[in-house]
Amino acid sequence: MNDFHVRQHLLKSGALAVGLGLSVPASAGLFEDMDVSFGGFVRAEMAARTTALENPNNQGGNYFNDRSVGRTAFVPPALLPVVGGSDGLLQVLVPGTELGEWGSVVLPLFGDNIRRGDEIVSVDNDFNYTVLRAEGEVGIRFSSELRLIARVRAVYDPTFYDEWDARSVEQFNNGIEGGEDFDERLYTRSPNYFDYIVAGGNTPNPLEWTGRDYQVYFPALVLEYNTGDFNFRIGNQQIAWGQSIFFRVFDLPNGLDLRRHSILDRALEEFSDKRVPMLSARLSYQMTDNILLDSYVGKFQPTVLGNPNTPYNIIPVQFTVQDRYEQGGYDDELVYGLRLKADYGQWGWQAAASRRYGPEGVYRWTKSGVNKQLTGPLGSLVNVLYAAKVPAGDGGFCNGGAFDATLCRRYADSGEALANSPFEASPGGVYSADEWFRYAAEVRLDGITGLNASITDFDGSQDVYATPVENARQAAAQLNTFFIAANDSLRGHIEREYFQENVFALGVSYVNESDNDFLNQLIFNIEAQYTPERTFTNITLGQEYIRQDEYTVSLVIDKWHRFFAEFPGTYIVFQALTKNRSDLVGRHLSGYGGKPLNELEPTATRATTGKNDNANYVVFGFLQPFPNKIWEIEFATLFDPEGGIFAQPGVRWNPGKGVTVEGFYNYINGELWGNPNDNLLSTLDFAEEFTLRLTYQF
Amino acid sequence: MTPLRWSSRLSRRELLQRGARVAGAGLLAPLWPTIAATGEIGRAYPDELLSIEAYTKGRIKTGDFITADNVEHVKDLLEPAKYHHVARMGRRLKVVPTTTDWMKLGPWEYLEATLRHQGQARFDDQGNVVTADGQPWIGGHPFPGSGDALELFAGLTLSWGRHDANLFAIRESNVAAGGNVDYRYDLVWAELSPVGRLVLEPRPYWTKHADKLRFNTVVYTAPESERGASYLNIWPYDQNEFPELYGYVPHFRRVRQFPTNQRFEPLVAGSALYLSDAWAAGDPLHTWGNYKVIGRQPLLAGVSGGWHPEHENWEHPVQGGPKNESFFDSVVEMVPETIICEAEPTGFTRAPVSKKRVWFDARNWMPVAMVTYDRQGLEFRSFDGCYSLYEKDGQRFMNGAHPYWSWAYVHAYEFQTGRITRLEQVRELSGGHKTSVNDESIYDKYLTHVALQRLGRV
Repeated sequence: MNDFHVRQHLLKSGALAVGLGLSVPASAGLFEDMDVSFGGFVRAEMAARTTALENPNNQGGNYFNDRSVGRTAFVPPALLPVVGGSDGLLQVLVPGTELGEWGSVVLPLFGDNIRRGDEIVSVDNDFNYTVLRAEGEVGIRFSSELRLIARVRAVYDPTFYDEWDARSVEQFNNGIEGGEDFDERLYTRSPNYFDYIVAGGNTPNPLEWTGRDYQVYFPALVLEYNTGDFNFRIGNQQIAWGQSIFFRVFDLPNGLDLRRHSILDRALEEFSDKRVPMLSARLSYQMTDNILLDSYVGKFQPTVLGNPNTPYNIIPVQFTVQDRYEQGGYDDELVYGLRLKADYGQWGWQAAASRRYGPEGVYRWTKSGVNKQLTGPLGSLVNVLYAAKVPAGDGGFCNGGAFDATLCRRYADSGEALANSPFEASPGGVYSADEWFRYAAEVRLDGITGLNASITDFDGSQDVYATPVENARQAAAQLNTFFIAANDSLRGHIEREYFQENVFALGVSYVNESDNDFLNQLIFNIEAQYTPERTFTNITLGQEYIRQDEYTVSLVIDKWHRFFAEFPGTYIVFQALTKNRSDLVGRHLSGYGGKPLNELEPTATRATTGKNDNANYVVFGFLQPFPNKIWEIEFATLFDPEGGIFAQPGVRWNPGKGVTVEGFYNYINGELWGNPNDNLLSTLDFAEEFTLRLTYQF
Repeated sequence: MTPLRWSSRLSRRELLQRGARVAGAGLLAPLWPTIAATGEIGRAYPDELLSIEAYTKGRIKTGDFITADNVEHVKDLLEPAKYHHVARMGRRLKVVPTTTDWMKLGPWEYLEATLRHQGQARFDDQGNVVTADGQPWIGGHPFPGSGDALELFAGLTLSWGRHDANLFAIRESNVAAGGNVDYRYDLVWAELSPVGRLVLEPRPYWTKHADKLRFNTVVYTAPESERGASYLNIWPYDQNEFPELYGYVPHFRRVRQFPTNQRFEPLVAGSALYLSDAWAAGDPLHTWGNYKVIGRQPLLAGVSGGWHPEHENWEHPVQGGPKNESFFDSVVEMVPETIICEAEPTGFTRAPVSKKRVWFDARNWMPVAMVTYDRQGLEFRSFDGCYSLYEKDGQRFMNGAHPYWSWAYVHAYEFQTGRITRLEQVRELSGGHKTSVNDESIYDKYLTHVALQRLGRV
């Protein structure tokens, strides 16, 4: 750190007072202890891919880009009373046929084989991540009680990637559109790596300036006042609580920023650059010599996810997400919390309560707002049939309670109907039932009930002859029919909302003392979190969210142990965590166990089995410094007993002169055994990579 | 020139041999009674042990530099690392007069309490130093004049810096064998005693913490990679127990409790210092054992004159080594008698050291040098530094009514790698961290959980 004491030099000349716009005389007692310090670093970071698997959540890595899938169109059951029914034409021609469900009557001539890659260009990247980062912190100490801390972080990504550009599909059905809340920066161009854009077009993170390839923000800009036992900070800041590492049982105040390198940085760094800073006030009070009170109140800031088609995006890009953070008024909401932490020798305890909005948010189907008619041969046929329906409001039988979507329509045409459904007839969506079920399973949703929710909750869907289904076979028939009618694919629209919750947490720690060297100084920590009526995304994406009580319990055991006289002690940490309702990233456990269409029984009424037990995770890690700490090797692993593992061996070299070189490998395998959709890690299977970071600090 | 007394009757070899044999210290008169009666050291030793000129028969005089050219004349007065530094690495040692005024060999209040409380200390059944009625120690050295290794280490462990509270602003430079300074750190070392208090109220005990020996925090303030890393050690009074250790790790952004029994680890990259090394007594007394005295000898050591007020931040010029920046400008004086003690890390499995050898100044029972040995018995690491009264050429840094007394700089040297860690106590570090003494506010500022949180990186 290049520190410079300006007190004697600048204050004597008054230059600092002028520079800061202060009217206080340079010699005034208030600032006689003034001190300015500055430090920072620059770092080049890159992650090289070690797997051929591109991120399947992105257009360029979609599983179906290189697969040809057969699609068959069927007569919608909603139309069968006209052509079929007990006295209809088909019944006369083919007596005994069950005509009341999807898949009964094939529409000949409309079936096809679709290969997604005929429209969507695949990508092939050598690197997942290449950025230059600079961070600097200025501390201005006005007196022993008052100081200002400003930490700025700037990240630039030269985007040396093989990118998928949405403009490449503009010739297909007019390309991707989006409706009134749609933002072109996210879906109609090449990937946008850093903008966090919510519905309405704003970028709501305060003190943050971003573009497609850069991000500048203040992880910390706080004014601090301390006196005696009190410490008060106000401004943009991060707050971290708890003894668990990586498992966020007590770590309640901030959401996470999963842009940049997602959660794939050095595990032992935890979330140091991931917590989303929050405009907040924090008061810490050393109540007694043993008890620390920590409290905060702040402006709610949600977790920020990677944008569509960026390397670590986790929401399939067949969806368009409309984040209601501002439209829902969540940006005006306050969150607050309190923690007590006490230490009594070998024993310690902590308790926390927080009233907050779940930072991950929850998702559900929402109207697409995209007025684009079905098209192609089948789409044109549907449009003709649709136009033939009686408009609602024209009087007659289409008014009143018994609205018949077979004969009546609410909208001018299929485009307007789709605008009032969660679908958009555009390229880059779901092209086949096989794709629908594969991706639903991977994101822990139910492909059958999810389809039904998109129909029953939206009259626009019903208006174009969509009807709920009973099983996988019917769902596949309906899905393929509509994908053909869209002449391409259907994109789904979902909205992200946030819900208030009260979170309570308790923890106890114990330092073991033993004559056994390995057992001596083992530190045990148990932390438990309980949230009554937590709101979860419904695995159907239905309008009704899941609300259930959730508990999370973690056990942490850590110690330093010296295995070799020649080497410093090894830091070892073991952790286990269990959750009864959702997985580590907040997905409801009832969405686990999904299967692709070809593995589902045709008569299956659910596409997921759900987890019967809790979600459980085990972490083991160690850090082994070499003499003088010039070299360090480290290892961390996250294990899901349902068949997934994330292991991260790494090495750190501190050659001196302010230089640090770090390399670590992320090995991720979500297919150790069983159904990959039963474990957490299959979601990140694509992200195997080697990361190298070169830092120079000044 | 001071007239020689008695010494002409002794050869240098005889002097050293006699020094090594004579227990109780003092060659002309018993040391501690002499000090207690007069406050003067000169009456207890012959000139050969008080004057480099007398010892070397005029070959080296006060004010001269000991260099590779003349070091052989004083080889017997140097512990092995310092001799190696001078003879092989180009280090120079300036000779200053021997301090004979006992009250300049420590903080005034501490030395005064040592006199006042002499004879009142004993070990209890757990091996802890207590008063005659079994209460925690009340201040000053508990065993003045002792020639017993356990008592010497007990006195040192009870009070490291010999003040009730210390805040040391420290600059650390780490020098590779090739002479390049490859790591630099700024750190703050805070220590506060809740017992044996002589200045801070309440005295002698901060009652609610009378079961503790000290609060001690080390916090790094630079460079960026380590800034905000801090460790709070809360020492129980019982010297059979390890301290509690809480740390603010910048990556974690919060205070966590950490295991405390691994104390032979460098805290930061490139450093040759361990927690165990602090004051040559960085661990609880009874986590080491087999304390014994192996000899006595006069020694050239840094006991006075180490403060460098010529630099506004008290930073020292450097010299020696391949790039001429391996060592601080160093001063030494004739310490007429040191007590050489050894101890073994009996409470640490697989400790990298098999024993430590510490030279205690027989006049004030402070360590003036330490050498540790690896498990093969080879020299492993060494520590030499310099204490000082912070008073020089009319400039003073005060501790109440008296000039501040403390350490000024330390060298830690690794025999087997050639790496050197230099530490110097400076006036102030960026961020408003100022060296201070007996300032009770350091408790709130550095020695609580909320303090660690505040000091940590935001």
